[in-house]
Amino acid sequence: MKTLGLLQGPQTLGKGKPFWSAFTLVVALACAYPLFADGYDVGNNVYFFNWAFMALGLSLIWGYGGTLSFGQTAFFGVAGYTYGVISINFGDAYGLTIFALVASVAAAALLAAALGYFLFFGRISGVFLGIVTLSVTLVLERFMAQTAGPEWRVGAARLNGYNGMGGMPSLTIPWFGSDIVLFPDVQLYYFTLALLIACYLGLRILVNSRFGNVLVAIRENPQRAEMLGYDIRVYQLVTFIIGSALAGLSGVLYTSWGNYITPASMGMTAAALPIVWVAVGGRSDLTTTLIGAMLVLAGFQALTIHGSQYALVVMGALLVLTVLIAPRGLVFGLGTLVAALVNRKPKRQGE
Amino acid sequence: MTVLFSIFSFLYQTGDAFAFLVLSACGLAIIFGMMGVINLAHGEFIMCGAYVCAAAARAGLPLPIAILAGALAAGFAGMVIERIIIRPLYDRPLDTIVATWGVSMVVTQGTLILLGSTMPGTGTPFGSFTVGPYSYSVYRVVLMVAALGTLGLLWVGFTKTRFGVLARATIQVPHIAQALGVNTGLVYSLTFGLGAALAGLAGGLYAPTMTLVPTMGSAFVVEAFVTVVVGGADIFLGTAPAALVLGAVKASLTSWQGQLAGQIGLLVAVIIVIRILPRGISGWILRERT
Amino acid sequence: MAILETRALNKWFGGLHVTGGVDFALQRGEIHCLIGPNGAGKSTLFRLILGEHLPTSGQILYEGNDITKAKSFERIRRGISVKFQVPGIFKALSVRQNLQIALQHHCPPAELDGEIDRLLEFLKLTEARHQLAGNLSHGQKQWLEIGMAVGLKPRLLLLDEPTAGMTPDETAATGEMVQALNRDGVTVLAVEHDMAFVRQIAHKVTVLHFGKIFAQGTINEIVADERVAAIYLGDATHA
Repeated sequence: MKTLGLLQGPQTLGKGKPFWSAFTLVVALACAYPLFADGYDVGNNVYFFNWAFMALGLSLIWGYGGTLSFGQTAFFGVAGYTYGVISINFGDAYGLTIFALVASVAAAALLAAALGYFLFFGRISGVFLGIVTLSVTLVLERFMAQTAGPEWRVGAARLNGYNGMGGMPSLTIPWFGSDIVLFPDVQLYYFTLALLIACYLGLRILVNSRFGNVLVAIRENPQRAEMLGYDIRVYQLVTFIIGSALAGLSGVLYTSWGNYITPASMGMTAAALPIVWVAVGGRSDLTTTLIGAMLVLAGFQALTIHGSQYALVVMGALLVLTVLIAPRGLVFGLGTLVAALVNRKPKRQGE
Repeated sequence: MTVLFSIFSFLYQTGDAFAFLVLSACGLAIIFGMMGVINLAHGEFIMCGAYVCAAAARAGLPLPIAILAGALAAGFAGMVIERIIIRPLYDRPLDTIVATWGVSMVVTQGTLILLGSTMPGTGTPFGSFTVGPYSYSVYRVVLMVAALGTLGLLWVGFTKTRFGVLARATIQVPHIAQALGVNTGLVYSLTFGLGAALAGLAGGLYAPTMTLVPTMGSAFVVEAFVTVVVGGADIFLGTAPAALVLGAVKASLTSWQGQLAGQIGLLVAVIIVIRILPRGISGWILRERT
Repeated sequence: MAILETRALNKWFGGLHVTGGVDFALQRGEIHCLIGPNGAGKSTLFRLILGEHLPTSGQILYEGNDITKAKSFERIRRGISVKFQVPGIFKALSVRQNLQIALQHHCPPAELDGEIDRLLEFLKLTEARHQLAGNLSHGQKQWLEIGMAVGLKPRLLLLDEPTAGMTPDETAATGEMVQALNRDGVTVLAVEHDMAFVRQIAHKVTVLHFGKIFAQGTINEIVADERVAAIYLGDATHA
């Protein structure tokens, strides 16, 4: 029970009845949505949920941990391609795609462990860490982009160079009778939503725990944290692994959803986008990150549909404006404003 | 005899890579080394210089003038960007990375919208010469000379002129410089502008050798960053030797495995060097007091 | 037994010989102050003891164990604690949270809240406990940091200019705080410039000059020593 108490705490916005009522309402609406919408639209909109894990992971690493990693797309891509390789080779029977999901996220986590060890135990930080992580994702992109020939294959799965790997089966849940294939449709929606809620709540508990306390201490003053007896390298490494595993989860879900993964998902533009979502939302809080990421993604998609060229201009401008005007995030700024207003009426609510 | 031809080829390739890295990195090195600002829009200043140079050259200006025009245009743009976007962020270095990344997206996409996906360029002047079985571009040798010349001019500028001394003082102890009557705002603007102008110069110099597309900056920016980071904060003790080392690495990998291997090798080199020399080459040479 | 010892401790930064063969011994239960002109190497000596710099040569022993190569957090876990010159607190976190982070691994969870409250009382910060630590007055920030350092229940406490920027009242209160800690068994090594504070608390004083130990003794002996006065006034040229 004490663990559940950590669902709210100093590191997350929102507590008490007002917040959790709002939360329950949002979850209820999300669950009800497929009843009022076309299956095709529901399936398409899972796209937004797929990226939410990446955003939450970056929020953990950057917002809570203070480490600006430019290369989260590397883990997205590694997990996506790993899922493709495993699922193409082994098929989707007997729940093997679920195995592929777990193995791919594990692969991303393993890469993060190696890279993180190299970075944090090598005392690399700040700009240099940013450059190294950016280099990693770009190296992966460039490498995968030139795997076009038929000799570039893992088992039956061709890497296919710049055009990307396709044709992998979607996630399939083994079930009595016939398996449930998670095409972009209502079942995939609920599956992803459930995962998202679980990760969100789990992260809330993590950041409000003693681990989370130390993490933000390291962000605020790493020297002082070390001088309180904490091995900050270990905390940074664990945070990096968890956040990157979440990026990997995004990668698997995306690949399964679209049956497609390309090297561009690890390139320069792709690497910039999560930074935009998280910065605009408010990186130091999970809820504002999530809301901000959803809003920016929706805006980006709307722009792409209606006037495609301006989408990136708006993204860039949004990033600049956020940094200059509301460095803790636009949604974060709004959120604290709302919280201040709510807390000004305690007597009227008869508590 | 063929050995000599191969050696010449290797030297040419290394010199070519060296020139590319020096010219694309020196502007970034000034801004990062002197101001601690990470300018991810660096590639766009290069593009600005290239575009202005190409336009000026096709309007009839002789190439050297066109190149200078490109440098000046980029320098001016730099001063504007500094005033509006960079100056509020001096105490937040990581935020300058994010903000300049935003600027980069806006400028690249904006150029695509306004000027289309390609810009007509100019041809490479001066033709080629042969050594043994290989032929080489004369212009690229000119670029090597230009790279060395730029380093030389910068050295003179920073150590011998008043501006150089003032700039270094302002950046290191701004409040003292201000107390001595130095217009620190102007110094910041000029320093950033100089960095941008050098980027524009690189763009102008390389414009005759490349297709001009709005994303052309990205071909320079990652490698420029790599050179600056490997080199450390000092241009002469850091960027120049880093460009030489990385140029040799890139040249050898390219001739062995192709262009992609060269690019990958460069990025891997960065990762390794940062691990061994966390303050870059110049930091190691100066054994800076932490 | 000496709780802390340095043997032939040397540190070069490039061409600068900052710590020059220091043989220093700190006895358990002492309050010992390190003084000396600016640039004498006092902060560097601290940093060497804490592990922020590794010495060029020489040894550092803590409670008889060689900690010369140990990482900083390892030294802290052995019972050393530090308060820095510039307040090293977590400005964006609340006062209470600052203390919680310091105490959470040194205190059973059941007693944690009680310990934090006790410490808040001791530091006169109970009313300010939910404020952001960055909003405290300078003196309060210093005390908060002392509180965090003390919350680790160290056996050796290092203080780097603990009263820098404090009013005379705050300085006297800090002196009393340090003496109370010492009565509880904490050995204290402090770098200080404020002679009134040194006089108030120090059992022994060491004078550093150009990275070497120049003089040692009680505060009265040091104050009476003409050579010490000379190095502060810049008359002495030291080989």
